[in-house]
Amino acid sequence: MKEIKWYFPDNLKEVSALFKKDGVIPHGGGTGILKASMSSVKGLIDLALLPLGFFRVNNGTIEIGAAQTYAEVIENMRKIDPEHILVKALSVSASTPLRNRITVGGSIALFPPWSDLMGPLIALEADISLYGSREGDFNITSYVNDRHLARGNLITGIKINRDRWTGYYYRETRTHFDYPAFTVTILLKKAGKVIEDTRIVIVGCTGRFRRLLELEEYIKGRDAGEVEPGGISEKIKIDFTGKKSLSPGYIRHLVKVRIERGLATVLGN
Amino acid sequence: MGDYINIGRSVRKIDALSLATGADKFTDDYEIHDPLYIAILYSPVAHAEIKQIDVSAAEKVRGVVDVLYYGNVQRVLHTTAGQGYPEPSPYDALLFDRRVRFVGDRVALAAAETREAAIEAVKKIEVKYRDLEPLFDMEKAMDESAPRIHVDDEYTKIPAEYRPEQNLAAEIKIGFGDLERGFNEADFIEEQSYRMHYASHCAIEPHTSCAYFDDRGRLVIVTATQVPFHVRRIVSTVLDIPVMMIRVIKPRIGGGFGGKQEVILEPLVALVAWRNKRPAKVVMSRKEVFISSRTRHPMRVRLKTGVKRDGRISAIEMDCLMNTGAYGTHALTVLANAGGKVLPLFNKIENLKFHGRSVYTNLPVGGAYRGYGATQGYFAFNQHMDIIARRTDQDITDFFKRWHIREGETSAVFKALGEGKEGVSQVINSCKLDECIDRGAGAIGWHGKRGKRIESGRNRVKGMGMAIAMQGSGIPGIDMAAASMKMNDDGSFNLYVGATDIGTGSDTILAQIAAEVLKIPVEMIIVLSSDTDLTPFDTGAYASSTTYISGGAVEKCAEDIKNQLLDTASVMLKAEKDSLKLDAGKVIDKKTGKKVPYDKIAYHTLYIQDQFQIQAQASCTASESPPPFIAQFAEVDVDRSTGKAEVVKFVSAVDCGQPVNPVLAEGQVEGAVVNGLSYALCEDYIFNSKGRMVNPRFWDYKIYTAADIPEIITIVVNSFEKSGPFGVKSVGEIGINGPAPAVANAIFDAVGVRMYETPMTPEKVWKRMKEEGVN
Amino acid sequence: MEGIFKINGKEIKVSFKSDAVLLSLLRENGCTEVKEGCREGECGSCVVLLDGRLVNSCQVFAASAAGKEITTVRGIGNIHSPHPIQSAFADSGAVQCGFCTPGMVLAAYCLLKKNPDPREDEIIEAIDGNLCRCTGYVKIIEAVKIAAKRMRENG
Repeated sequence: MKEIKWYFPDNLKEVSALFKKDGVIPHGGGTGILKASMSSVKGLIDLALLPLGFFRVNNGTIEIGAAQTYAEVIENMRKIDPEHILVKALSVSASTPLRNRITVGGSIALFPPWSDLMGPLIALEADISLYGSREGDFNITSYVNDRHLARGNLITGIKINRDRWTGYYYRETRTHFDYPAFTVTILLKKAGKVIEDTRIVIVGCTGRFRRLLELEEYIKGRDAGEVEPGGISEKIKIDFTGKKSLSPGYIRHLVKVRIERGLATVLGN
Repeated sequence: MGDYINIGRSVRKIDALSLATGADKFTDDYEIHDPLYIAILYSPVAHAEIKQIDVSAAEKVRGVVDVLYYGNVQRVLHTTAGQGYPEPSPYDALLFDRRVRFVGDRVALAAAETREAAIEAVKKIEVKYRDLEPLFDMEKAMDESAPRIHVDDEYTKIPAEYRPEQNLAAEIKIGFGDLERGFNEADFIEEQSYRMHYASHCAIEPHTSCAYFDDRGRLVIVTATQVPFHVRRIVSTVLDIPVMMIRVIKPRIGGGFGGKQEVILEPLVALVAWRNKRPAKVVMSRKEVFISSRTRHPMRVRLKTGVKRDGRISAIEMDCLMNTGAYGTHALTVLANAGGKVLPLFNKIENLKFHGRSVYTNLPVGGAYRGYGATQGYFAFNQHMDIIARRTDQDITDFFKRWHIREGETSAVFKALGEGKEGVSQVINSCKLDECIDRGAGAIGWHGKRGKRIESGRNRVKGMGMAIAMQGSGIPGIDMAAASMKMNDDGSFNLYVGATDIGTGSDTILAQIAAEVLKIPVEMIIVLSSDTDLTPFDTGAYASSTTYISGGAVEKCAEDIKNQLLDTASVMLKAEKDSLKLDAGKVIDKKTGKKVPYDKIAYHTLYIQDQFQIQAQASCTASESPPPFIAQFAEVDVDRSTGKAEVVKFVSAVDCGQPVNPVLAEGQVEGAVVNGLSYALCEDYIFNSKGRMVNPRFWDYKIYTAADIPEIITIVVNSFEKSGPFGVKSVGEIGINGPAPAVANAIFDAVGVRMYETPMTPEKVWKRMKEEGVN
Repeated sequence: MEGIFKINGKEIKVSFKSDAVLLSLLRENGCTEVKEGCREGECGSCVVLLDGRLVNSCQVFAASAAGKEITTVRGIGNIHSPHPIQSAFADSGAVQCGFCTPGMVLAAYCLLKKNPDPREDEIIEAIDGNLCRCTGYVKIIEAVKIAAKRMRENG
């Protein structure tokens, strides 16, 4: 039988020391660790005693602690903005008992292809706060693209701007409680009729995720009424490897349909 | 029909509260002292000969007590199908064999002091396989060049077509009339093939068994089974342990649906316990249930009909090819039901042929699954009839009403197609299918919405479809149930039945039947069921038999009790027996109004005069199998861009005779409907090129949650079946037959494409729309 | 490892393996009302309340649950004194095989604690992690509505 050593640090300094040990990883809710193979895990750092369960609303930003569960994020965000993209995405994620257990930190660290958190965070251009050898705030895209950042660092929380976006979130699933084949996140901001800014993110494609910058550029600055979502997705090229139950061609088709519908929704056309 | 005090009342299921409070026990909840835990090694390859097997490393794992494989266990051919004797399934399975026939076939087991040690030991068993050519395509199973899957001394206990040298596990041919003439007389011929796929029962409780010894050294098997008496017989046969040394106890069962009509684990726990004289326990993981237990048989049904311009069918030919997988469990009878439960519904067809073949492949093993072949047959039948109704410009509801079998009518198919032997001819005593069709159509708004292609949103369109079906109530001439009762001091009764409540509520409805005969509240009946030492025999929970046949035994038994109550009361009241009646726990003299309560009668017989205990027993068989009928309607909303067909409303109207407990009857239909929809649209076994199921877990084999169900309406249409106790027929299986064809017909109504195979996933609907150019 | 677990209000000292999940610990210590249907967080048969929150006990390491309040379905009522939700399930035909029922009842309990008058979609969301193969969910949803009504009426 394999023994796992459990650590229950109550301050971050202790965590730093533990991180230097081989095969020791943080434990938030445990759902991700249990889904993955446990074979390389030698120790688990339980984060429960660390002050990472915070949810702070500042003037321009919102800070969410790494130990906040999906359910807690939904409850807290709802009070600020019931239409917020995180509320939309997380409240349809997994199931009630799992949302009570999956944490923000664990979800970012593992970034499973079915994550419902990552699309919105990438679209929101969230910052990831790290503690450890590379302490500080890092843009989420650079964080997920640079695996060195993950090593030896603990995610303590995320920071997002309090901008008001109109949001659209779609997840392709077989039943409601399923892991999505892909997700589509669209954020859009208008000044009068003009589209001031937009962010479009696909998760689940080749390379895990794609921000559709070319499409964003095309839309930005235009009058909302002149953007015709129908056929707009022909402008994008995106690859999928296919799933056990879905062919790549069909996924590509679905993504296009969902992007067009999402744009129609956020544009209010 | 009379004024019932129990029949037709939705009393609480008698185990509902003990289950809702977590008090009642399932197999894995029994505390077994110091058991050996069993882990099983499964074949990773689809078809191979074991060249060499080395268990020495496994045996050395700390805590391991026994490692079993073909080299050290008895070689007894049998079938795991938990059917009556002689089982109509071929004897083609061994506890462990030298040859493996599908990914998931069992190779060996390890028994150890802990579960972890058993699992570790299994991993250390070294097996060298010599790969054999696998056979995955059932259409090619009978080709001369096809690899042969069973090469030894397999045989059948019954006179049936069985040719393992051709991979043929069963073949059935029946017919009457002149098919050719019928086709020649037709104005047009309609011919199509329809395919249904593998599915798992997904009972939430996985297969579980344990065995221990009682104080006198007899083997007690506690097991999650639908067939405790067949378990005892089959374990005895396979292990050569006398029946008198075995007791089988069925505790609460966490769902069966046919999956637990298989005797898979019981011989293993019994074997380990018997060899080591220690308790033993085995619990399947969800993955093991998916890959190694039983499934719904995939089937290809080809229907060819000759049709007159007015829709009259002058000839029908039904050709079924069924994939039974690596073993022939239920290979003959599921196949027979695909015709036997379907073709009699249109009994006016004069020229008919049914040809069915079940073939072996190197894929998972089929078995009993709610609907039992009728589901596969009705998927074809109902779509086919929808096509004919449309081609002859009729509403399918009118078409069905014109041609379905009616009260007082029969069908030659009843006699021709039985389950393992010739069937039994019967006349329909009760059929309220017209009312089912009308009330179902009304509830879904059929006439306002069908054929209208109502737009329900951007690129979304609605469609309506329906299906009808019948099933049976038990297997006539084969099933047998027994019951016994005894009276207690306070006028309550113990009821002992072999009938097997697997969550259906049979304990409750059998108590209701007994209570009705005796005119007492159902609480006065104390039920004990399914313990081979304590209760009488019953073939078990399958074939929609319990309410009708086990109910018949209980009614007969209670009638005997009633007679004894009247005899004693006539002495006590000094009254003529003829003038006495039972009323609310008393015997009343209709002439004088004098009465004596049951507790006084009990005291009188137990303690006072001419002492004896009021008790009785009865057995029941059936000479017919009255079909329940159902009409089911689906309203779907199809997204033309994505192909996603969402069922928004589903209505079932069922004629199950007199419902004993309407809420429980509705519950049977609702559960069957949701299982049927989930199967029709979503659930799927995905195999890789080597025949391995790649999605053996609930996060990859999706079944419906509460968030996936449409609005569901269930209408129970009362009828009275004179051959059944209090007018009952069955209700357990029938509801699963309609969802797939009703949805397929609704998809056609919405977007004009025919879905010839399940599951009707969005991608498949989308592809069909592309093929037909209707996006 | 060793830990103190507060199960249904009673503290017990238990030794357990470092990689054990809460489900195994509970079942091995007599809480057989917590059912195992898949061990992968999908079926919901094993849900319990952990400090008042519904969780899949198969997805929680026992080590991380030590010291916390654990409530199983036996903790909210028993056969002699059932919780109104348990009675409502029994009354409305929501219990067929009963294997999913402890989980369903606890999911409903969590919902009604914070939302005494839920809409149907809120009931469905509350039980979205609990699989049932027998009932088709219809009577389970009905049972939660009946329980909510009875609990509101009886305070």
